[in-house]
Amino acid sequence: MTPPNHAAPFEPPDHPLAPSSLRISKIRGSLDTQSMASVSTLPYRASNASVSSLFASTSTPSGSRSVSPSGAGTPSRMLSGSVFGGLGTPGEQVSPADRPEDPRNLILQAFVPHIAIHTSSDTRELVKDKGFKDGLWELLRPFGERIQGKVTVRDSIGAGRAFEDFTVRFVELNDGLEIPDAIPSSRKSQEGKVLAANGNKLSPDVARRARTGGDIQAIETLVDRHLAYSEDFPSINGEDYLNFRDGGERNPNIPSPFYTLYLRRLLSGMPLAPHETFSHPVACVIAISSRNPSPIETLRKLYDESSFGDKRLPLWVNTEYLRYYVLVHDEERDDIAKSMTLFEQMKRHFGLHCHLLRLRSSQCVATDDDSIPLPRCEWLTASEEIAEIEAREVEEDPEDSVPCIYESDTTAIKTFIREMVTQSIVPSMERSVATWNDQVASRRRGFTGRITNMTKKWSVFGGNSRASSNGAGSSGSSSNYDGLQGFYRPETPEALMRKLADYAFMLRDWKLAQSTYELLRSDFNNDNAWRYHAAANEMAVISTLMSTSALSSKIRSETIDKMLEQAHYSYITRCASNYGAIRSLTLGMELLRLRGGSSSEDAARWGLKLLELKVVPVVGDALVKERVSICYASKKGAGSGQWGARTRKSAMWSIRAADAWLTLGKPQQSKQRLDEAKAKYASLLQPDSIKSFTAANTFLQSLEREVQLALYPESGIEGPGGMDDLIDTSIEEESEAFSSRPHRRSLMSGTAPVISGLGNAPLHGDLLGEEETGNPTLQFE
Amino acid sequence: MSYYFAIIGTKDNPLFEYEFGTAKQGGDGIARFAEQARHMNQFIVHSSLDIVEEVQWGNGQMYLKCIDRFYNNYVSCFMTGGNVKFLLLHSPSQPATTNTSRASTSIGANPTSPQTEEAIKQFFTEVYENWVKTIMNPFYNVNAEVRSPVFRSRVAAAGKKYL
Repeated sequence: MTPPNHAAPFEPPDHPLAPSSLRISKIRGSLDTQSMASVSTLPYRASNASVSSLFASTSTPSGSRSVSPSGAGTPSRMLSGSVFGGLGTPGEQVSPADRPEDPRNLILQAFVPHIAIHTSSDTRELVKDKGFKDGLWELLRPFGERIQGKVTVRDSIGAGRAFEDFTVRFVELNDGLEIPDAIPSSRKSQEGKVLAANGNKLSPDVARRARTGGDIQAIETLVDRHLAYSEDFPSINGEDYLNFRDGGERNPNIPSPFYTLYLRRLLSGMPLAPHETFSHPVACVIAISSRNPSPIETLRKLYDESSFGDKRLPLWVNTEYLRYYVLVHDEERDDIAKSMTLFEQMKRHFGLHCHLLRLRSSQCVATDDDSIPLPRCEWLTASEEIAEIEAREVEEDPEDSVPCIYESDTTAIKTFIREMVTQSIVPSMERSVATWNDQVASRRRGFTGRITNMTKKWSVFGGNSRASSNGAGSSGSSSNYDGLQGFYRPETPEALMRKLADYAFMLRDWKLAQSTYELLRSDFNNDNAWRYHAAANEMAVISTLMSTSALSSKIRSETIDKMLEQAHYSYITRCASNYGAIRSLTLGMELLRLRGGSSSEDAARWGLKLLELKVVPVVGDALVKERVSICYASKKGAGSGQWGARTRKSAMWSIRAADAWLTLGKPQQSKQRLDEAKAKYASLLQPDSIKSFTAANTFLQSLEREVQLALYPESGIEGPGGMDDLIDTSIEEESEAFSSRPHRRSLMSGTAPVISGLGNAPLHGDLLGEEETGNPTLQFE
Repeated sequence: MSYYFAIIGTKDNPLFEYEFGTAKQGGDGIARFAEQARHMNQFIVHSSLDIVEEVQWGNGQMYLKCIDRFYNNYVSCFMTGGNVKFLLLHSPSQPATTNTSRASTSIGANPTSPQTEEAIKQFFTEVYENWVKTIMNPFYNVNAEVRSPVFRSRVAAAGKKYL
């Protein structure tokens, strides 16, 4: 909502400086469209406390978190082509410890096992009585993001590793079917059409659709919302800003909260698709409640529904996942002895993957004794979060909306999830990995596998050697890929290997995942399965970069670059999937940047590539510009001269980001980037050398001035001193350019605001609003 | 094809700036940079100094070839003995003009081809010769801006001849 109150009193005075007036008109134009777009979507922004809590993820200062840029990573020895390239200091290999905004952490939390939930109607009623209208799924979801204690995982060579931060995601069975792309494109491949048809048929439900992520436009809107909020209530940002002033240069390892949000929403709610199996269920929780009159039969019925009935997942999902049976016991209305006997019976029937979950059935309100608010779910999709914000905004009573839960219930749920994950899900995943690795991948990896693959590739004529192992899908050709429908059947070796690799990735066995993706890349390429090919390339890059082993720049340019290139090319050109391209390039960029040294330059290059492709909409575009600047900033120079650093590049990209933010009507962000740029220029060996470039300097100053105007509109309306200064300096500049004038800056940015501030503070007392009075210090910067 | 040529002094300050367009293939020798984006040329050239400072230690040549790229703008560099840098920003004209078939082999269309590299090298060498003569002027101070109209016209001539 920034644009209306900033733009309305903001009349560009007719001043003779050509570049600035040009710029102003540009800004106003885009501001209008921007504000129109955002205004039309929301009725009225009530700034109550509950709404602001929703924006907490971006408005809390990130500097207050524990930030240790150290981390005992291996010193990355890189054989690089450039002289200064290999000098990444050991500290730059950042460990992902306890920092939620670290991209590596984000990836760990994003690519996690999905557990589908399928409940009987009586369970749904029980949970509804508790106040959760979406069923058990809604109740369990926040707890899946925080599993208590460590989870031990054995990797393919049998070494156990314990993870503090292992998470799972709960989804409703059948959730997440891919939405047909918003832009219908003629280039769109067969695969897309099939998916679209499936999606339409299976889920007409709007809410369900909202739970499917991967919608770039929604992410865009959401981040814009958060940005608008921070523009409206800049107090915390001001604090952040002051921190930044104190601490000198901002730590590049802390991305802006908006970028973190963008990434997180980009990765949440991954659509259920044939070409990657992350969102395919690893297990399905089948739940009944103690209210059920015929429990065992219901369980059987639910099982049948999930396997054959109308709840059956699409053809390309492997249905051989774990079933986990849960009996929800109603503590208040039913007899525990009866439930215990029933539970024993369940165990006899269904084996060990059972659990008795004891919940109280009455609704908990905030005033109850042991009530605690339900933890907020962090991995909502963008559409869900927008819906939530909108719902809160129209709500009258802010307190009413936060759902509460009894503490005894949370303990029960936490125990249940922990037990299920450590005793059933992880072991069964490990087992699947071992089996597939043994039966499918190693056979393919071995000598005979290569021969088979070779013959498959080269036999043009009698290529039916593998037809016996084929499913019914392929018609005579030697490939398992069903080109017509665009997927591999789940029992084909390719699909199993993809699943193996994804499982290995979710269990954080990077080596196994990487080698399997590597095998798949060539297979998919041979079969012309482009969506699969792109996804395999993308994941190969990510798993290579996630493992801590050092990469020489040669390997990097041979593998990573090539794979990223193929991934984004396949995604965009062959599949028309911008989402995939954005995801692969941003993740590749972030992971490369973390490696420091010359990798961060590669990272910046990929960021630039992403911008060049023009697939990212405006807000994302500004964020990526910001990231490119940070990528360059994280390349440290050598010696006293900072040789090999990219300070100037970084500063330039900061300015570009500032420009982009201003165009979007986000002067607070713009101001921050501009200050960063100025700090960077000042830190150069030849401080402020950019000032001797006339056009660039003029641009910089006009940008600065416009940000100032946008932040404090009153300083421009009547600031004759400021105007005169501007004209004076510009004329002076033209007549004797290039002479060094150390006082010029203080003239420009120093006196003008001071004069105007003194002049109109008493006059405009009411109109100035909180921004003026809120942080007067900013004005005298 | 539009060119922006800048000579950068040892304190990263511009000593000489000149914009021109290609004179080959019916070009009129006028630079076609977008008016709003003119400042970007300076930003790009300034930011390329980062790369120059790294690449200059890599080989013994004065001509460092094409060192940097920003979207469709390419930057070539030539180091003089006195740590003064010649930077040439060249951006191929984006919309394919009428004679596309001929342009594909010309230096204008392919900024990283050996022909372009060679042409730019010749341009730099000629400018360097004139530069040395200009700064031998006894009234010239180090890192002062060069305003000599003769030098400007010589640069223009070199540009017309090779680019």
